[in-house]
Amino acid sequence: MSGIETVKIIVEAEKGAAKILEDAQTKASEIRKWLDSKIEAERESLLRSAKNEASTILEQAESEAKVEAQEFEKNSQSAKRQVITRASTQKGAAVEKLVTIIMRSEQ
Amino acid sequence: MSETSKFTEDILTVAKEKGQTIVAEAENETQKALQEAKTRLSREAEEIILNAKAEAEGIRRRQMSEVRHKVKLQEQLEKDQILTDVLEQTKKRIADISDDESKYFPYLVSSIANAIRELGLEEVLVQLNAKDLKRVDKTKLEREVGKKLDKRVKVEWSKNPLEASGGAIVSSTDGKTRIVSTLDQKFEALESKLLIEAGRTLFGNNA
Repeated sequence: MSGIETVKIIVEAEKGAAKILEDAQTKASEIRKWLDSKIEAERESLLRSAKNEASTILEQAESEAKVEAQEFEKNSQSAKRQVITRASTQKGAAVEKLVTIIMRSEQ
Repeated sequence: MSETSKFTEDILTVAKEKGQTIVAEAENETQKALQEAKTRLSREAEEIILNAKAEAEGIRRRQMSEVRHKVKLQEQLEKDQILTDVLEQTKKRIADISDDESKYFPYLVSSIANAIRELGLEEVLVQLNAKDLKRVDKTKLEREVGKKLDKRVKVEWSKNPLEASGGAIVSSTDGKTRIVSTLDQKFEALESKLLIEAGRTLFGNNA
């Protein structure tokens, strides 16, 4: 093998090595690009899911709070009616008491 | 194997190894970065849910607070109406009593006697409303007032009728000092006490 042939073979080998490294860099670059899109996809998926869950929590809270408030109002109305009914039956007694206070205020 | 072949093979082997390292490093970096991103995103998602839970609690509290306020307001309005009715009825009852001389006369005697005692005078001017001026026996009234005070008092009866449902205004003869002791004034003066007592009778501990 002549010297020129040897140099040619080595030059070819160097070209091959450079190609291998270039391919590796390209692959690494693709992996990084994939990462960006993967993170974006993960982000969209996780946040969408969280927002959906949050929305469900709020809808449920609105609905439960409405029911709870209606229940409370119903019970309170019933308790209030009792107080007002009892008070209405005591009106006469209250009037008598006040009349007595006024009339006795000058004794 | 020739020296040249071995040399070129070494060049390619080194390149392959270096290439593998480049790819492996990229993969490792990616895995690490992906893991970090997932952790960060999970925290973000968790925060969104926590905020929603806090807001949900706020919704519950707000709803309950609104309904509590509404119920309380309604109850207070109804209670106020009952109290107003009781005060109105009391006024009517007092007016009825002022028509019943057996109950009203002793009240009027005490009312005038107390006013005279407060003024500390022996000669006074007493003003009554038109109805009382007509129907009340003023001689008897003066005598009963004297008895009540346990001393003789000279009462001059004002001819100017009082605009009141009952009671009297007692003043010094020069009109400089006077005690207003009308039923209306009495009612007004006692109103806060009357409201408290009525509240106790009507609503007990729920006042």
